Amino acid sequence: MRKARKEYEEQTLDLVPIMNLVTILIPFLLMSAQFVTLAVIDSTLPAIQQESNEPPKEEEEEPLGLSILITDEGFTLTGKGLDAELPKDDEVNGPNVVCLEAGCPTAESYDYDTLRKKLVQVKDRWNDEENAILVPGSKVSYETVVLTMDAAREDPEDVVDESTQKKRELFPFVVIAAGVN
Amino acid sequence: MARRSRRAPENEELNITSMMDMMTIILVFLLKSYSTDDITVAGNDDLQLPVSSSLKPPKLAVNVIVSRAQILVDGEPVLALEQVADEASGEMVPAIPADAKTGPKIDDLFEKLQAKAEQAKTLGQRAQSDEFDFKGQILLQCDRRLPFSVVRDVMFTAGQAQFGEFRFVVIKGSG
Repeated sequence: MRKARKEYEEQTLDLVPIMNLVTILIPFLLMSAQFVTLAVIDSTLPAIQQESNEPPKEEEEEPLGLSILITDEGFTLTGKGLDAELPKDDEVNGPNVVCLEAGCPTAESYDYDTLRKKLVQVKDRWNDEENAILVPGSKVSYETVVLTMDAAREDPEDVVDESTQKKRELFPFVVIAAGVN
Repeated sequence: MARRSRRAPENEELNITSMMDMMTIILVFLLKSYSTDDITVAGNDDLQLPVSSSLKPPKLAVNVIVSRAQILVDGEPVLALEQVADEASGEMVPAIPADAKTGPKIDDLFEKLQAKAEQAKTLGQRAQSDEFDFKGQILLQCDRRLPFSVVRDVMFTAGQAQFGEFRFVVIKGSG
């Protein structure tokens, strides 16, 4: 009876080799672990895009050629016939979308929501347009440019396809140009 | 008393089971975040990528990193940026040294990128498959606080060196 109890006690699983293996695996996996998921935004140079363009099609309407100017005062939208068609909320010559904070000191102080609403209006009027030209000023931070491209890409409040959660596309093809200082 | 002290070392074995439980959970978690992406980002204080709502997965291309301190092409440092005080706010803002560029073209970066373009073209010809053809794609990892003038000059230089398709690397976020 006493002997049997002793045998039972000795039959514990020896986990030390597995521990060794796992301890080696953990630093290895930690090394190749990725905690942020990356994505890319495509853009082309304006000049190259013009070269590769197909010959001008017979369209009833002239292309809009939408440009979004980013300055330290806010966003300004320009395009052929845009001024006449778009409802005006601000003074005539001022930027179409003014900053939330005077002088736009940070990337968050730009009013992306209003910009998106304006772009939805433009998209409603010119439904076939997919291109937009971005003209940021020299001092505008790169983050602002990226956030503006986000605002121009799609409308998160307008879900076209419920099953895939696909949002309505606004101007997904953004070309970056340099102009104002 | 003597008997008790002899038995003690036998019973005081380390209980590894709970440790094993923990390790197994960590292992599963790490396996889940195991990445097989084409590109990786070595984040540091000088390189904070912007957050965007874009969903396009990144693909392998010539990798240009523009941090607040320097410009790197495929991991090799090309040019150190200088810090200039902003006229209006007095903050230190990174800028490309004036003697390192002609007009908006950054000379060192141009040479490096042109060499990369030639290399990619030869590779494309030898591979004879569409997959490796030179399409002028370039991955740009830029710090989110950089002024656009720096990014613009880098883009212009890349354009001069036949890289016309920019892919701005961003961190996927809710936007």
